[in-house]
Amino acid sequence: MPVLRLPKFGYPVKYAYITGRVRAMKTKLVPAEMYARMMGMDMSEIARYLEETQYKDEIDALSKDYSGVELIEHATFANLAKTFRKLERVSIDEPSFLILEYLRRWDVWNIKTLLRGKFYGAADTEITKYLVPAGELSPEFLEELAKKDSITDIISAFDGTDYSSALAQYDGKNLASLENALDKLYYFRMERAVGGTLSVGGGLLLKYVRREIDIRNLITLFRMNKAGVDAAVIQENLIPGGKLHEELSRMAGQPFGEFLRGLEGYPFWSSISDIASVDLDAVSRIEARLRAYLIRYAWALSNYHPLSILPVLGYMVSKETEVSNIRKIVRGKEAGLPAELIEEQVVVA
Amino acid sequence: MAVVADAGVLYGLLAVGAGLATGLAGIGAGVGEQGIGAAVVGVVAEEPGFLGKGLFLMLLPETLIIFGLAVSLILMFAWTPFAAIVTP
Repeated sequence: MPVLRLPKFGYPVKYAYITGRVRAMKTKLVPAEMYARMMGMDMSEIARYLEETQYKDEIDALSKDYSGVELIEHATFANLAKTFRKLERVSIDEPSFLILEYLRRWDVWNIKTLLRGKFYGAADTEITKYLVPAGELSPEFLEELAKKDSITDIISAFDGTDYSSALAQYDGKNLASLENALDKLYYFRMERAVGGTLSVGGGLLLKYVRREIDIRNLITLFRMNKAGVDAAVIQENLIPGGKLHEELSRMAGQPFGEFLRGLEGYPFWSSISDIASVDLDAVSRIEARLRAYLIRYAWALSNYHPLSILPVLGYMVSKETEVSNIRKIVRGKEAGLPAELIEEQVVVA
Repeated sequence: MAVVADAGVLYGLLAVGAGLATGLAGIGAGVGEQGIGAAVVGVVAEEPGFLGKGLFLMLLPETLIIFGLAVSLILMFAWTPFAAIVTP
């Protein structure tokens, strides 16, 4: 496989425009205290509030086709895709390259959505609703894929691309191993594209991504250790490439109490120490805390390197979190979940 | 001590010095401004109201040129120790 090379690298001033722009965009994100207030609003009030924010265009455009939860869900996804595409469009050289490299995760997301949709026999219009064309694959291409008849047709459309090796793992019975392979491929590609260069910017991106892999693996460990899954199975599911990979994979299969004691002293421990106990009821609370830690980490790093990819990265992570928070709130309210339960899932950095 | 008595050469060197003072200050200010300018344009693209503040920030390095210009003017018109040497 050819190794991608960065076009040019090393000049922080190339980042001045895009970092200035994302810092201005950051001020337009939904403020943290709004989430608590949204909890007390009904759907139309939330939609009206979002209409006053950056989601205005999407809410206006979609409000004739959808209403209530559906409207908010589609508007948030459409806005996410638009925002990320804009970031990629307005940047040049190294920032553009690195942003695209990060955004490939939405390609993976879309492929997963397509496969899952087809697997459970959803209609193509239903599938296209949940696509987020923020990555490299164009909306037209994705829609075309959604119209295909079977999973094997979709898989064969990716022949000759990097995805084909991961998609070849499809055995016709379940998607879990395939999805895991796609995740691993994403991080592998990122490492291959960014890690092999001497670029400062790429190194910083990688530093964040390594931490992200650790956190994802940690969440997997929390889930599986809690459920008492066999160590070998857990290790199979861990994504390689994290900074703490060896240490975390050693923790696989440990009894839960011992596992928790082993985590003390790691940098992320302070953000979960008060709720991580042996009688932990829901891992999703830990997950929300760890996500928040990751956002803080990205912004903290960006203070050390103000003219680098990190402010952009911090913005992208914050934006993703904002969209998922809004969706959690509206979905949770729709399902009639108690407010405390929703509040626990909302990630506030 | 050898004294350069050619007023033309001395005056020429002085002019070169004065030119360098303003010119290098200008280049320095330009280097400083490129990043600020790019960032300001980025912010203004999102928040048009930032233009005033942004322009102010962008013009800060411009003050450096004034130092350079002041040195040039002093060299050319106010600094005359050599005047004693070259006076016939």
